[in-house]
Amino acid sequence: MFFRFGSAIVLVVLISLTGVALEKENLELKRAVSRQQFQLDVLRNEHAQMRLRTQQLGAPVRIVEALEQGRMPVRKVERPASNSPRQMPLLRWQKTLDEP
Amino acid sequence: MPTEPHNEPSTLPTWRMKVLVGGLCLFWAALAVRLVDLQWVRRQKLAERASRQSSYLETIPARPGEIVDRHGRLMATSVSVRSVYIVPSRVSNPWQTAWSLADALSLDADVLYERIAKASDKHFLWVKRRITDADADRIRQLKMPSNTWGFREEYLRRYPQGNMACHVLGLRNIDGHGQGGLEQTFESTLRGTDGRRVLVRDARGRVVEVKDEVELTPQHGRTIVTSLDAVLQVYAERELDQLMEEKKALGATAIIIDPKTGELLAVASRPGFDPNEPSQIPDAAWRNLAVTAVFEPGSTFKPFVVARALDKGIIQREEKFNCENGLYRMGGRQLHDHHKYGMLSLTDVLVKSSNIGMAKIGEKLGNDELFDLTHAWGFGARTGVELPGELSGIVHPRKKWTSYSIGSVPMGQEIAVTPMQLIAAHAALANGGLLKTPRLVMRQQEVGATPGGFATSANEADTHVVSRVCSAETAAWLVREPMTQVVERGTGKKAKSRNYSFFGKTGTAQKLDPETGEYSHSKYIASFVCGAPAEDPQALVLVMVDEPNDAGTGFGGDVAAPAAGRLLQKVLLHLHVPGTAVRTTREKL
Repeated sequence: MFFRFGSAIVLVVLISLTGVALEKENLELKRAVSRQQFQLDVLRNEHAQMRLRTQQLGAPVRIVEALEQGRMPVRKVERPASNSPRQMPLLRWQKTLDEP
Repeated sequence: MPTEPHNEPSTLPTWRMKVLVGGLCLFWAALAVRLVDLQWVRRQKLAERASRQSSYLETIPARPGEIVDRHGRLMATSVSVRSVYIVPSRVSNPWQTAWSLADALSLDADVLYERIAKASDKHFLWVKRRITDADADRIRQLKMPSNTWGFREEYLRRYPQGNMACHVLGLRNIDGHGQGGLEQTFESTLRGTDGRRVLVRDARGRVVEVKDEVELTPQHGRTIVTSLDAVLQVYAERELDQLMEEKKALGATAIIIDPKTGELLAVASRPGFDPNEPSQIPDAAWRNLAVTAVFEPGSTFKPFVVARALDKGIIQREEKFNCENGLYRMGGRQLHDHHKYGMLSLTDVLVKSSNIGMAKIGEKLGNDELFDLTHAWGFGARTGVELPGELSGIVHPRKKWTSYSIGSVPMGQEIAVTPMQLIAAHAALANGGLLKTPRLVMRQQEVGATPGGFATSANEADTHVVSRVCSAETAAWLVREPMTQVVERGTGKKAKSRNYSFFGKTGTAQKLDPETGEYSHSKYIASFVCGAPAEDPQALVLVMVDEPNDAGTGFGGDVAAPAAGRLLQKVLLHLHVPGTAVRTTREKL
């Protein structure tokens, strides 16, 4: 009788602990996704800021006159940064979590 | 004999016991009823109330789309910046708060205090929107109670090319609504749709959970790819700036169009403004002359009349016209030419821009044909270019046309057009008689994950309306003969190029004097439209100057033609169009 009662208690506790562990894991994943979303927003904004700055610096209105008057040397790009349109990396949150 | 003490049981009277048990039963019964009421009867309502109190719907702003030129050069973009707000109902010392914030943000403390005091029962008040990082740091250092203020992220529209193409782009006001230009026309496309997410907060207002299942993903604004070429736009604007300075004009506009496609390569208007500084825009600068200036086209209208007369077989290319030595009486009206001409060929009527020669063609056509051709070439109706506020010009109803109209309309009077209508009609001539809707937007693109990285889905915004307005032979003859001669030896010779075979037509319209109600002899609108190469037109340029006030004349050939010629030369070089010498060599080879 006592053994059966003890076993039942242990079973209930084990199930509860498993539930708690799963819940914690779930929350951890949610946090990771939120963090990645936040980082994505930050990166997007930084990218927009930098793109804005480069476009301001390279705006035709700034450089056309200098180019026409030969004050600015025209050089071909030796090595293009990329030949394909830039793509955003996929959200690899699962891999990130698995990594030590 | 001692007696044993009598130990009576210390029991309560029965009635008291019954009352106690009954009371307890009632108490537990009441609890049970309350429990059933809360957990069963009112469960749904209470659960919703609890959810309402703990959850908070947060808006996820959609990133506005960008505007780029045909080569992907950025013309408008948005960056995220902070705005600061306070919660007036929680501010205990409004004056101290106003003074501290005003000092940190360079605001007027009195004004801010008044605003806080007026909104003392409110839970939200903007202090300053779109602040710098330095401003944000200064506010943090004030160490105000955390529940009385906060930052909110907002998008700030930036125009990296400065005032370039300002009238085409328009701007976004502080609330992110498009005002003028493509920003207004494509407001919903650029704006996107905000997303939503539900946050669960604890009793202290801290976020404890972000509910994924009810989240609405924001749909970011789409990127508008315009047909503009930023380099050509710069060329056009520099020419206009030079014209405005030299001629002290009221305004000026320049349009460059690809006649084969109807794509606008540059649209510039002066006076201009810097869309990055919306508070400093003068009222006059808002007007985009390219679509809102309405003026009599003058001689630039003459080729369309000739085209119709040729197509109808009413006149012949080799025909000669008696220009009456500069004076011609039409009913009760006397017509004059700038110079006295006798017999002129049809080509020379256009080259020398003879009003009398054109009036005689008008007499042959009659008012019905003149009215019909005016509408057929797109005058009196908006072109459909994607710019807000476009005017349709003025073409009076047919019943208002009189015998005067036969003499006036062929020389470009009695009707009024916009620069956009005029260049669209001339583009039809250069395009073998096919009239196309001028357009500014090549396509709209989904922004991929990055601002500027285009995803694959692209929608061609093909809203072209094409109609044939004259025969290809007539159009080709007009461009290669009379209109080329206009630049070679006629009124437009100041636009002549050594490298290319230009064709064009000058126009000088007298403005109405508001005081007398008659044509002014000192206020003109000078225009010149030209294109090249005449054999296969690749680009067309229109320059219009409103009231040039220099010491010289206000004629289109003197004021607008040199600027238009210089601009067209640069356009052709930029587009790598081979010059006449190169073409001749190639043909020989």
